[in-house]
Amino acid sequence: MVDIQELCFGYSKKKTLFNHLDLDLKPGNVYGLLGKNGAGKTTLLKVISGLVFSDKGRCLVHGHQSKDRVPECLEDICFIPEEYHLPSIRIDRFVMLHAPFYKRFDHSKLAWLLKEFQLEPHNRLHQLSFGQRKKFLLAFGLATSARLLLMDEPTNGLDIPSKSQFRKVIAASVNEDQCVVISTHQVRDLQNLIDPIIIIDEGKIIFNQNIERIASVLHFDTLMDIKENMQPLYQEEGIGGYAVITPNLEEKDSRIDIELLFNGVVANVNGFNNEFKK
Amino acid sequence: MEKSNIFNINRLYLLTRRHLFSNLTGWMIAFGALSGVMLVISLLVANFQPGSLAMLTPTYLTIMFLGGYIFTSSIFSELNEPRKATHYLTLPVSVTERLASAWLLTGILFPLFALLMIFLIIFLANLIMNLTFDFSPFANLFSGNYVNAFKTYLVTQSVFLLGAAYFRKYNFLKTLLVLFVFFVAFMIVSGLLGWLFLSHLAEMLASEEAALNVDPVAVRWIPMAANFFYNYLMLPFFLVTTWFTLKERQV
Repeated sequence: MVDIQELCFGYSKKKTLFNHLDLDLKPGNVYGLLGKNGAGKTTLLKVISGLVFSDKGRCLVHGHQSKDRVPECLEDICFIPEEYHLPSIRIDRFVMLHAPFYKRFDHSKLAWLLKEFQLEPHNRLHQLSFGQRKKFLLAFGLATSARLLLMDEPTNGLDIPSKSQFRKVIAASVNEDQCVVISTHQVRDLQNLIDPIIIIDEGKIIFNQNIERIASVLHFDTLMDIKENMQPLYQEEGIGGYAVITPNLEEKDSRIDIELLFNGVVANVNGFNNEFKK
Repeated sequence: MEKSNIFNINRLYLLTRRHLFSNLTGWMIAFGALSGVMLVISLLVANFQPGSLAMLTPTYLTIMFLGGYIFTSSIFSELNEPRKATHYLTLPVSVTERLASAWLLTGILFPLFALLMIFLIIFLANLIMNLTFDFSPFANLFSGNYVNAFKTYLVTQSVFLLGAAYFRKYNFLKTLLVLFVFFVAFMIVSGLLGWLFLSHLAEMLASEEAALNVDPVAVRWIPMAANFFYNYLMLPFFLVTTWFTLKERQV
């Protein structure tokens, strides 16, 4: 669905953001795109949706170069940015003006999503709160039936019930033909939703594994103290002791802590990747 | 039937409709206010200075031109604000449709609507003056060279369309500035070239006998070329340049 090869990009010639980045995204997955501030998560989503152009390399979406912004391809991409503008018109007017651009637009799905999010068709978009507008944009994006959904910090600005509503809606409405990429810092909000996990750092994809594989290779635990002979891949001291990630040599089940995993991978990228190569 | 990825009339219609309905209120207010001002001016001039009425049509056309240039300069305003540009650039339409829709609104529909308004204002002013003072100030209602005005607008407006797509802020003012700088530079260069290559003609023309032998083609080709460029090349040139500018626009 998305094929990125040898992608180079920089906002200025002196400072490159992506340096020969490779990434292959397949349908039927909800990718979690994680990275530090300024790592290029949003920029990567912009490159995929054709909003910015790469300096070198290629970015193919549904077989088209994303920078060509081919209508057939754009019909199948829905990008929900972190910051957005909605015109000062009613929801039904917005839908009337924009839905016909998408030939597979699902009006019944939109009606269901609006009801889920407690939005009315006669609501004026500029009178909605930030979170409500985000929910509307999400509802509209899902109703386009686009096969590629790109979301930048979708849970920012959502209240606590809305965050679980968001997870429920995404899980219920995304099908096997679709690919969702969620860029986020709020990993706890999406703990049971994202799979695989992609970590981007210093212009490269440093980690790209699915949950099943992570669970089989790594073991997550909280310990009161660390024994001398123990060699964790990563450890963090917390209130209840030490949160550690170790190789899952005994093939035990453990609950994956994505935040801990992210910190660990960024701190010890070679150590983690070597475990996955074994 | 498979839709073309280059041009599709249905997508053009949808994009134009989207543009129109999203901005309709603001545009109607601007149009209404301008029309009201023009009607009041017509009535005042007809009442106090009926002799100056002939000057009103060119004034109205000037207002139409200026209004059209400002309107054209703002037609891609969505591109100038990243939050709006994200939505605009990810709409499933082609570059050709984006350009065609903008050109249709600013180059075709705007002047037609503006000319219609001018006729309506003149007609209303005539009607009011006729009913009030039994006097028809605008006897020759359709005397203006409107077709020529429309053609001039269409050609010159294309420069502002390029400015709208190219600049990220103050599109109208920056286009005006570029035009001014371009004309000054053009005049300096053409003056220098004329002095370098055509100064011998001036010497020849000094003697009446020699002037009769001067080949007029040498003198005529510059205005002819300029005329040809203005009439046949300027509009397509600026539209094509705008197309490429739009294609390269990023957030």
